[in-house]
Amino acid sequence: MTISLAVPDILVARAKSGDLEALEALYRAFETPVYNVALRMLRSPEDAEDVMQETFLEVVRSIKQYRAEGHLWGWIRQIAASKALMRIRRNQLRATEELHEEAAAGPGGVGVPARVDLERAFERLSETSRAVVWLHDVEGYTHEEIAERMGKTVSFSKSQLARAHARLRGMLDDEGAAP
Amino acid sequence: MMHCTMDDLLALQAGEASGWARSHADACATCRGELDALYQRIAQLKALPTRRPSRDRWPAVREAVVAERRRRPNGRNTSSPATAAAVAGLLVFRPFGTRQADAAELARVKQESATLEQQLGRVDPDARVMSGRAAALAAALEDRIAVIDGELARLGPLEAPPGPEELVKLWQQRVDLMQQLVGVHVTRAAYVGL
Repeated sequence: MTISLAVPDILVARAKSGDLEALEALYRAFETPVYNVALRMLRSPEDAEDVMQETFLEVVRSIKQYRAEGHLWGWIRQIAASKALMRIRRNQLRATEELHEEAAAGPGGVGVPARVDLERAFERLSETSRAVVWLHDVEGYTHEEIAERMGKTVSFSKSQLARAHARLRGMLDDEGAAP
Repeated sequence: MMHCTMDDLLALQAGEASGWARSHADACATCRGELDALYQRIAQLKALPTRRPSRDRWPAVREAVVAERRRRPNGRNTSSPATAAAVAGLLVFRPFGTRQADAAELARVKQESATLEQQLGRVDPDARVMSGRAAALAAALEDRIAVIDGELARLGPLEAPPGPEELVKLWQQRVDLMQQLVGVHVTRAAYVGL
């Protein structure tokens, strides 16, 4: 992602004082990266937009507690990841996630193209797998951090990552083998 | 011939592989190819195109913020007049040189927080079915508590700067949120007659 994520200190100070214009400027600066983190972790763009909205509500409520010690994007990203993981937990309550994945990844599934690129293969993983892969491989979270945020064990995070990569490799191999 | 598993390949990528996996990958062209493919997949994931949201959600965020400010014109997040008065007293009327008093107050709010945690444990929120609205409210409160916990972890022990008054303030905020969270669960428990 080539978007600049640096914001002036004065803008942060104004946002911390509750200035709505400054808060909107922060929203404009970070809406796309927040949306992309959420979109890669979740299955639907609608969910990703909801998470983006929840994230910024939390940012507005909590920005007074931001100490400007790390990068603001790191702080906002943590909130976004936490919100996305919460959404995944809620979605799992509907108990269809794994079935969805299996159905989508099965050979000759309805509406599933024979050829997929990496982005489409990634989209066919379960939300849990996507979250682990994205947080670990792209955002640079450790397995310990992922496990803590998901309320799972480090082994769970590692096995999800291995399983997800095995599936990605399989789907991309299928692509290569397709006529 | 036994090849590296995906666990082995990921461990190699992370620099945490076993001696066997390292020496095997050095000698095996197939596994080196798999490892290269893994690196490429990760690089491609990092390079996926940026997507943009289809709708502008700022008006909804702004509306929610303005509505919250209208409900709490003083901007404090308090759950009862007594707590509000206690916080106001702490923040406004605290005289100089009251480090000891702060320490006592800190111990008190920490104890209050622990009591609320125990109360929440007795309610056993995970074992109950909640309405979507109550679950969303509980989730939002838990998130805010998590933010405060992160801040408390960063500030560290009582002796660390910026001093106990800041910790008291954070712990008090935590207590306020915990009270609201317990309220959400207890109300639900009472409603369903449990």
